[in-house]
Amino acid sequence: MVVRKRSFIKTFLFWFFIALVVIFVAYPFAYMVSVSFRYDSDAFDPGLIPENPTLSQYAQLLGLEESIRQQMSNEEEQLMGLLESLPEEQREQILQNILSQRRRESFPFLRWFGNSLLLAGLSALTSLIIGIFGAYSFSRVWYPGRTLVQRGVLLVYLVGGVILSVPLYDLFVRMGLTNSGGTSMFALYIIYVIQTLPVSMYMLGNYFRTIPESIEEAALIDGSTRIGTIMRIIIPLSMPAIITVFIYAFMIGWNEYLFASIFIRPYPGAYTLPVGLREIFFSEHAVWAKMMAASVLTAVPVIVLFMTVEKYLTAGLTAGGVKE
Amino acid sequence: MQRFRELSPLRKKEAVFGWRLVSPAVILIGIFILYPVLYNIYLSFFEVSLTPGVPNKFVGFQNYRELLTDPTFWNSFGITMLFVLITVFGSILVGLGVALLMNKEFPGRGIVRALILFPYVAPVISTVFAWQYVLMPLNGPLTILLSNLGIMDVTQDLVNDPNNAFLVVSFYSIWKNFPFIYLMILSRLQSISQDYYEAADIDGANGFQKFRHITLPELYYVIGSLVLLRGIWNFYKFEEVYLLSKEARTLPIYLYEKAFTGLPELGVAAAIATVLFVVMMVLISIYVRKVLKW
Repeated sequence: MVVRKRSFIKTFLFWFFIALVVIFVAYPFAYMVSVSFRYDSDAFDPGLIPENPTLSQYAQLLGLEESIRQQMSNEEEQLMGLLESLPEEQREQILQNILSQRRRESFPFLRWFGNSLLLAGLSALTSLIIGIFGAYSFSRVWYPGRTLVQRGVLLVYLVGGVILSVPLYDLFVRMGLTNSGGTSMFALYIIYVIQTLPVSMYMLGNYFRTIPESIEEAALIDGSTRIGTIMRIIIPLSMPAIITVFIYAFMIGWNEYLFASIFIRPYPGAYTLPVGLREIFFSEHAVWAKMMAASVLTAVPVIVLFMTVEKYLTAGLTAGGVKE
Repeated sequence: MQRFRELSPLRKKEAVFGWRLVSPAVILIGIFILYPVLYNIYLSFFEVSLTPGVPNKFVGFQNYRELLTDPTFWNSFGITMLFVLITVFGSILVGLGVALLMNKEFPGRGIVRALILFPYVAPVISTVFAWQYVLMPLNGPLTILLSNLGIMDVTQDLVNDPNNAFLVVSFYSIWKNFPFIYLMILSRLQSISQDYYEAADIDGANGFQKFRHITLPELYYVIGSLVLLRGIWNFYKFEEVYLLSKEARTLPIYLYEKAFTGLPELGVAAAIATVLFVVMMVLISIYVRKVLKW
């Protein structure tokens, strides 16, 4: 056979390309993980394996350990000593300044994590619920104008977030929803719901069509209402698709930076992870080891969620209903 | 289309039910997507005031005139087009290549497949920091590697150099988005009937001929649609560009800076958005007719 010799080269080339793909994909992740286990001073040591590995970056981000700076300085006591001698109002004033300075320098990772979790979670859930009924409506029920609704949902693909940023900002300012951290978060919640709604409806609609209508008809004959069949038949049978859509919508909210930066920049208490991390990056906290640990902690939840539904995710994405 | 009045009572009930189910979604999309698109066009003819009580001032086409005579705008426009071209072409090429590789069975395929999704799944903010780290001038491992290979100078700040920032961002965007392309192409590849390949084997076709005459035609519409989708998305891309490098001055970034930094000029920003939207619509309609032949 002539093929033998060629197939050796072929096998070699095949594995060479696989290795290339793996390196291409994993390269930045490898450094991200590696640096996150180092001390700040070792951040740029050569090589992938940290020489003095440490968990302290993670411990500090998760609030389990005070940062070295906080440990080493007894700033607090010294300051109080200095302030003793000052008159009352002046003392107030200085304390206020220090406090606001502190707030700016601190790295409230858990708070941002919580904000992101809340916003992305709630908006994904809302979009899922509205999406289930909407998708059921246009995949199962016939009515005049149905095609128009379906096409309209698709058309939303042509409108990017950037195009909506100006009018939505103007609208929300007029509605008075940008005056505080809380209302700004509510504005973001609405925006994330509408940004994920078309995807949810499209992906769910495609899935619902694969469920045989006869199962539903049997239930209807047995006296179930339409809403009842959605609750008792469609939803349980679509669980994989529903979970996938939830995770996909969650990721969109978790990732979102454009609207978050517009609406919550003035309210540090309401920062989501992308906004918070970026602000920190340009402050004096831009210490690489800690930034990398924060990056890992930001990425892990979504990666883990995705890996658990990878099989369904692939099916859901390729069914054609996607938007980022 | 049948009119509602002419429907049988049962059908009427059904129709009302359907509309009721879909109405929350339709109302939300109407208020927060369709209306803003129109409102945006309206705003582009005004000098928008953000002070409560002060009304917007109608300025006619002045915002547009200002834009079209602004060299920065044209520069951004060109960069955006280049960015879209490079990223769409690049991510499709990489995605196709990887999908062809992954279509073969090999030990460890499951792990590699899961790994390939990482860039697409990981948050932009995390991956951006990772790339900024490896590309740091002087210390970044990739900087050192590339300078040892003689490709660049070790002191060069690739990410923040206005001349090539958009190339770095394009590379990043390809890295980030090729898994999406790969997934779509792979699922199409797996649905191609093996009979075609067996028939080709009998005819003595070699690997390349099989790819050229069976695989590629089967993939035509998937790739065509992917070009469309990625084209639209990359045209509007903000996060991936802005977070990695502000120096990659694409139109969405120009818009963002006009609207939300320094002295806000929302009217001009609205005009940019309108131009973006119109250009997009024209490109899409040409593409859909010529390439996808819908």
